[in-house]
Amino acid sequence: MAQLAIGMIEVEGVASLIVAADAVVKTADVQLLGWDSIGGFTTLFFSGSTADVDASLQRGQEAAREVREHVVAAAMTQPEPDSLRHITVAIDGDGGAVADGALGLIETQGYGIQVTNADAMAKAARVVVRNVLSVQNRLVCTVIQGEVSAVHEALATAREQLSDGESLLVATMIPQPHQQVVGAFASGRES
Amino acid sequence: MKAAGIIETRGMLALVAAADAMQKAADVRLCGRHQIGAGWITAVVEGEVAAVQTALQVGERAAAAHGELITSQVIARPAAAPLAAMPHNAAMPASNDERAIGMLETQGLAPLVAAADALAKAAPVQLAGWAFIGGGLAHVAVVGDVAAVRESVAAGAVAAAAAGPVIADLVLPQPSPDTFALMPARDAAVADATGALGVLESTGYVGAVAAADAMSKAGSVAIRRFAVASGGRIATFTTGPLDDVKVALEAGTVATERVGELSGTHLVSRPDVDAVACFCGVQAPAVGGSGEAMGLIETRSTVGVVKAVDEMLKAAPVRFEGNFKVGYFLTASVVRGSIGAVQSALDVGATVAARYGDLVSVDVIPFPFADVAVSLPHQ
Repeated sequence: MAQLAIGMIEVEGVASLIVAADAVVKTADVQLLGWDSIGGFTTLFFSGSTADVDASLQRGQEAAREVREHVVAAAMTQPEPDSLRHITVAIDGDGGAVADGALGLIETQGYGIQVTNADAMAKAARVVVRNVLSVQNRLVCTVIQGEVSAVHEALATAREQLSDGESLLVATMIPQPHQQVVGAFASGRES
Repeated sequence: MKAAGIIETRGMLALVAAADAMQKAADVRLCGRHQIGAGWITAVVEGEVAAVQTALQVGERAAAAHGELITSQVIARPAAAPLAAMPHNAAMPASNDERAIGMLETQGLAPLVAAADALAKAAPVQLAGWAFIGGGLAHVAVVGDVAAVRESVAAGAVAAAAAGPVIADLVLPQPSPDTFALMPARDAAVADATGALGVLESTGYVGAVAAADAMSKAGSVAIRRFAVASGGRIATFTTGPLDDVKVALEAGTVATERVGELSGTHLVSRPDVDAVACFCGVQAPAVGGSGEAMGLIETRSTVGVVKAVDEMLKAAPVRFEGNFKVGYFLTASVVRGSIGAVQSALDVGATVAARYGDLVSVDVIPFPFADVAVSLPHQ
């Protein structure tokens, strides 16, 4: 079997990592391997054939850049196995069945406002809090799930709720998330 | 469902002061905490709406007096599901401790060690432990009777200020029961006689390793622990005879400044035995002391360091030994091999890493001191 190439995309915070992950698995036949955080910057790892990884890397970068500016990416065509020991959070490719529905990502600086906001969103629309990820450097990302219109409404509530200034960094939706992405980021608390 | 009150601060003492004051001001119960790095930390209380509102007003003042208040919010009638899904929820262990609490918060570990030593020596108090919460902020706590705790904190604050920045001090003569749930834990270590204690604090892993290696070669000292002190800092604790520790700290300072950034050093010539146990109790996980040369590369990008390691393994006969994430955007990887192989691998690695982000530092240790090599925390 031909050795698989590895793609890596590094972003600031975790919302754009999830957006990139979704773009990556939809673009070509690649598997999410895991991710790593070094205190504010997070990196996504995925594998596939060289051509697939290249295509996914390209599209993943573009998608991430639409959310937050900082993006660094690279591919390893014949990776040394030891290089993969850098992955801290492994993503299990076969996580079983996952819930349907759009994903909403709300990333802020600070946790207190996330609690109030989660409450406000749940009152405004039929959405469920699936995960709350803290990646240090006071970045917190809440992952919600629901029907597209409900997530849309919840995000509008979040923007209003957090409109006072700098605390809201990202409020974005993935309307039809890939199953791998839901399994990896919206089905529990990784950190 | 009861009302929820949320208070977020920068600094642990601000949060402890607020949490304690809130429980005293009104009938509220502490039901969780969550920290998110950079010194930001949140506590959540629950109770009747009016009680929560009163509590928050008092809590805000207490927080502002001992640090920085980030936000305080009331949710009058919280929806059950989203609140339960948030990560702050934790069982707060009940305590029937009735002793007074004293705490000091500093920027960095050098002043914290100075504080802990003075706290323990000044009065008959017990060191409860220490912890850090990001942004370089660290705190230490003691418990005891009120008079002893007051005496101890006063002495600790003076000693800490002489060694570095002090953020806040706090004495709670009659802490509320839930407040004990916010106390730092301590290593269950056995105290031993050790001579002097030296602390060298630097930013980044490469500088810390270089310092530890230089220190153990300079004098007859033991490297006791590498403690990540947040904000990218690592404190290296060393013990031994006073003169050796002195010489070691000087050698470590020179080595750190060669490849990293020194934050501070502190020497305690006759440390309190319990203070030493409190900080040096747990030895870091061991990696192999193979005697081979060690190559270190530190960057502000995971992509940069992984790509560098990959190219290094291809460029020369070196083996990947481990990675250490310092936090604060810093990540360092270590390879081992013959001195020539490590050197040529690092030349390649440095070029590759620089292409993908900030290359912070690169270093070769030709003959890592065995005692140091086995105590390094990368894995």
